[in-house]
Parts: sequence; C-alpha cells; structure tokens
Amino acid sequence: MLASNMAGRRALKAVLIDLSGTLHIEDTAVPGAQDALNRLRQASVAVKFEEEIFTSLSAARSLLERKQHRPLLLVEDSALEDFTGIDTSEPNAVVVGLAPDHFNYQTLNRAFRMILNGAPLIAIHKARYYKRKDGLALGPGPFVTGLEYATDCKATVVGKPEKTFFTQALSDLGCSPSEAVMIGDDARDDVGGAQNAGMLGILVKTGKYRDGDETKIDPQPHLTCNSFPDAVEHILQNLL
Amino acid sequence: MRIKHFVMAETGWPECANTLKGVILDLCGVLYDSGEGDGVAIPGSIEAVKKLKESDLKLRFCTNETQAAREKFVAKLQRLGFDISVNEVFPPAPAAVGVLRERGLRPHLLVHDGLLSEFDAVDKTNPNCVIIGDAAEKFSYQNLNEAFRVLISQEKPVLLSLGQGRYYKETDGLKLDVGVYMKALEYACDVKAEVIGKPSPTFFQSVLNDMGVQPHEALMIGDDLVNDVGGAQHCGMKGVQVRTGKYRLAIQRIHNTNSSNSILGQIWVKFIMNH
Repeated sequence: MLASNMAGRRALKAVLIDLSGTLHIEDTAVPGAQDALNRLRQASVAVKFEEEIFTSLSAARSLLERKQHRPLLLVEDSALEDFTGIDTSEPNAVVVGLAPDHFNYQTLNRAFRMILNGAPLIAIHKARYYKRKDGLALGPGPFVTGLEYATDCKATVVGKPEKTFFTQALSDLGCSPSEAVMIGDDARDDVGGAQNAGMLGILVKTGKYRDGDETKIDPQPHLTCNSFPDAVEHILQNLL
Repeated sequence: MRIKHFVMAETGWPECANTLKGVILDLCGVLYDSGEGDGVAIPGSIEAVKKLKESDLKLRFCTNETQAAREKFVAKLQRLGFDISVNEVFPPAPAAVGVLRERGLRPHLLVHDGLLSEFDAVDKTNPNCVIIGDAAEKFSYQNLNEAFRVLISQEKPVLLSLGQGRYYKETDGLKLDVGVYMKALEYACDVKAEVIGKPSPTFFQSVLNDMGVQPHEALMIGDDLVNDVGGAQHCGMKGVQVRTGKYRLAIQRIHNTNSSNSILGQIWVKFIMNH
C-alpha cells in the first residue's frame, strides 16, 4: 500500500511496517496503531506493509516460475491463492511458509524425502516464532532449520531476513535503503534484516518482543520503543 | 569377486585386532531393520551375534532407540531370534534419568508413548527442562509448540535430546529422527541442546566402563557415520560402518550404485574373529 505525496527532498522516503505483532495480534489491533498509521500517512512518506501475503509469497511464486518448479506447498490455505495457476502435480520442490496445519510428522516426512531426492527447499521466511493470543507459537523457521539439518542442504529464503527481500521491496517504491526505515517486532528478522540491507530499524515491544531482544543484534536497533505509535512519533519528530 | 562390505576409516587394523577386548554394536540398521511389527533381522546378523558371544570378546549394545522402554525392545529383539539381554543394552533414556536426578531437573517430555514408563519415577511437575526423544507421530505442531513454550519461558532453557540422528530407515522408507526436532527447538529458542546418547562421549564412556575396557581396546559397529563411527572414533575407539540400514539408501542416492545388503553380519564377524 502506498501513501501519496512522496516528497523527493526528504531524507526519509519510505516506512516499511511489519503487520503481525506490530499493528495487530490476530484480530486485535495494537492500541493506538490506527491513529498512528493515519498520522504517518499524512506525512510525506511512502508506507508499505511487509507481510508474506504481499511480498514473500510473490517472491516465492516468481522463483518457482523462473525455475519451472512444481511445488509441494506447505503454506496456509489463505496463501494458496497466491499460487493459483502454478502446476503442483508430481511436485519437485518444497515451499515452506507459516503453516501450522502442515507441520505434522507425516507431511514433514514427505517434504524430507523429496528434498533428499534433490528437490530444492524454498522458505517464505525463517521467523522463529510469532505471537498468538494464547501465547508464542512456532514459526516456519524451526521447521525449515530441521529440514535443512535432515537433508544437509540450505534453504533458499525469499523473505525476511534476506537482504534481497528488503532491497526488492524498496526498489518497488523507488527509494534506496538509506532513505527507508523498517518497524517490526522481530529483532533479528525485521530490524536486523533491514539494518543489514542498509535501512534503519525500529523494534517495537509488542507482539513477539521479549526482554533483551534488542541486544540480540549487532548493531543494535536504531530505536527500541514501546509500540507502533511511539515509533511513528519518533519518525515524525526526528526523521522527516 | 571380493567385495568390501564394511568401511575402514583408518589404517592400523592389525594392531587393533590384537588388542581388541570389547565390541559395541548398534542395533537398528545393523542387526535389524525396523518397520511393521517387530521389523526384520538383517540376514546373518543373528548368527553373528551368537559367534561374538561365544568368543572371549565383551559385547554390549549401544542404541539411540527411544521409541520403547528397554525391556520392550529387548523382548522384540529376542523374538527376532537374537541372544540379547536387558543389562547388555544401553539406550539414552536411563542415562537421561540419571542426568535429571543429578541436576534436580523436572522434565516436560516430548517422547514416544512407549518410552514414558522409563520416566515413571521422575518428578514432572512444574517442568524446568524439556526432554526430546524420537516421538515419531507425536511430533505434531501442537506437541512441539508445548515443548517450545516450556523452553521459551525459562530464563536459561535446558533442552536434553535423546540422540541427534537426522533420519532412520523403516521398512516403508526413511523417517525423520529426533535430531531434526532438536534443531528446530534450538533455532526457535536460541539454545544448544545437550545430547544424551550417541555420539556423546559420556554415553560411550559409560558403556566402556561397564565392559571394563579402554577405548583403544574397543570397536563400535554401526550404520550411522556420524553418531556411531564418528562418535566412537572421537572417544578413541575403532569404528566400523556397515552398509546396511540408513547407509545403503544414502549411498544409493549419492552414487546411484547397487550396494549389496547380503550377509553383512557374517562378514563383519569374520573380520573381527580373525584377531
């Protein structure tokens, strides 16, 4: 999503925002997030939401198309429509996203045997865990890591924290990494990944955030703040 | 035609054979292939165990089997025709119980139902560590998540893993082993698991102590290059890799060869007996 009025002279041109854990947790908004988002949109800056629904999935899709792979798709049902038209018969590649329903022993064994027989392993992203209302829950990262260990191979990660993921998102917006900031609740994948790509990273203490997460990356986040509204306030005050 | 049925990673075998006092055998993939029911004995291996027992060599069985309590799978091996008794077999679960006692740990168990009885006498209230074994079908998202939540709620998570195997072979194909789920939890929680079982040196040492032999006087036979052969060699023992079990499928995959699985047992016993 793009807010209007991109102002060329500003130092900061784009704000990338993680959704789950930063703006909302399941169907509940983070308090003050909607207001803060409105204020950000009124400023002269592009706003883009980073979630697999929009970008990592399409990156996976274009990789499949380029290599003409027929994937076994371990993704949530809601993400399947992003792969409409892709041939999935006699699969010869494994795609892993956030898909708790598929992370059972039988399905993982099937994926494992395919990879052992030469099918490439493609990860939508490698998040360790995410925040649900009932607590933290395992993301795709642990299962991708397990399959890598089982098969002695390395997954191709198309989403966070890969550098190309961030640079692609920014080139879509027509700005350079030094002109962009990322806001997220995952210290390593959101903030560390963005900073590794040359952006600024702001860590919010909502969602999956746990005490001390900001010390898990080097360099540390540009800013660590309580929640999304504080991050927006900082941007409006100091970065524009 | 002479075919090499075992892999020798080092030279100096004649000297080894002269000083050999004890042999440690892996079970699954060396003596039998697991699968429906009791699985099947690998041809020649029943006789091979018998010959070893008739020799003056000490014999122990060292396994990362964690799907069943020790009594259960020893009974299974006996049904398959092996001369084997409970006190000759060293699996990880009893060793883990020792670690729990020593360190005052109360485990959350992510193990196969068949293994639960090994932990009957252990306090499992308000868990402060996770023990993971080869839980097979019990490796559901829900169960893994529960173990993850126990770990992530600890200031210093303790993860004890009964082995770290990547996969093993059943009669219907290769299956993911405990190591895969251990790695998943390690990644999720930024923790390094403590492995109990092969290739842990303490685990091998406890077997050597029981035999009363030095590492250089002992030989380990297994189908797993890392956990059996590598682990044993790391402890100063000799390692022999057999081309049965998981070895065969892996090598076929890599070289597309048709490695033979016939009478391997007889051949490795002949080899050892020539000492």
